[in-house]
Amino acid sequence: MTALVRAEQAGCDFDWLVKEHQSMVFSLSYHFLHDRDAAEEVAQEVFLSLHRHMADIESPAHAAFWLRKVAAQRAIDEARRRKRRPQVALDDVAEPSVRNEPRDPILGEMLRKLVATLPETPRMVVILRYQEDLDPSEIAELLDMPVATVKSHLQRSLGMLREKLHRRGVGGDPEPGER
Amino acid sequence: MDWLEEELRNALARKEPSPDFAARVHDAVRRPRTVFNIRPWLAAAASLIVMGSAGGAAWRHHQGVQAKQRVMLAVRITAAKLNQIQNHVREVNR
Repeated sequence: MTALVRAEQAGCDFDWLVKEHQSMVFSLSYHFLHDRDAAEEVAQEVFLSLHRHMADIESPAHAAFWLRKVAAQRAIDEARRRKRRPQVALDDVAEPSVRNEPRDPILGEMLRKLVATLPETPRMVVILRYQEDLDPSEIAELLDMPVATVKSHLQRSLGMLREKLHRRGVGGDPEPGER
Repeated sequence: MDWLEEELRNALARKEPSPDFAARVHDAVRRPRTVFNIRPWLAAAASLIVMGSAGGAAWRHHQGVQAKQRVMLAVRITAAKLNQIQNHVREVNR
């Protein structure tokens, strides 16, 4: 029995997994690298790697965990390989022309660019927290780090983002605990 | 959750890749792996460099030994000639 057949019997059809998780895998890379073409390349590599490891996949939930973990690691590797951190210089982040009303697209783009200026590990922590809605313990398991470190990265990143936004006249005063 | 976290959730919402992304993945999976495997070439190149370096070092050592032998021979010849001259001078002085 081939590995693929075994995996499919466990409910892990490769085609279905690609369709189901392509936006998750692509978005993790895209928000991390801030480069659409590079993100698609990384996402494709992740799925090719999944195809080679289908025999190890035990369930659809395991596939989702595996994809998230590998996508996060490959995105970090790609950023290191390109030595392009920060992807976006702070000077390139445009001032918002309007204030932070809910679902402000300009604020959204500014936030994505500010997230792209965070150091690698906190950047991935923030992306996993707010893109994937994972709690700190899930992020800790994915990135192989203590929960306290994840919480610290989150708190500091939010403080940095709040301060940078505040300097651009967006939002209230940064909270002292997050500085 | 405060406004910043709300905005981050919105800004970092999942995005879709290109419409043909899944098709490209499937094509890549079906394609036989003809990726140029650079590792054996790297290993061969490294071996050649090591062998070349080792060979070069051995050759330089060999040349050094030969040069030393030539110098020693020259010194011995010179010493013999000097001895001859010294003996000749002594005989003349007697």
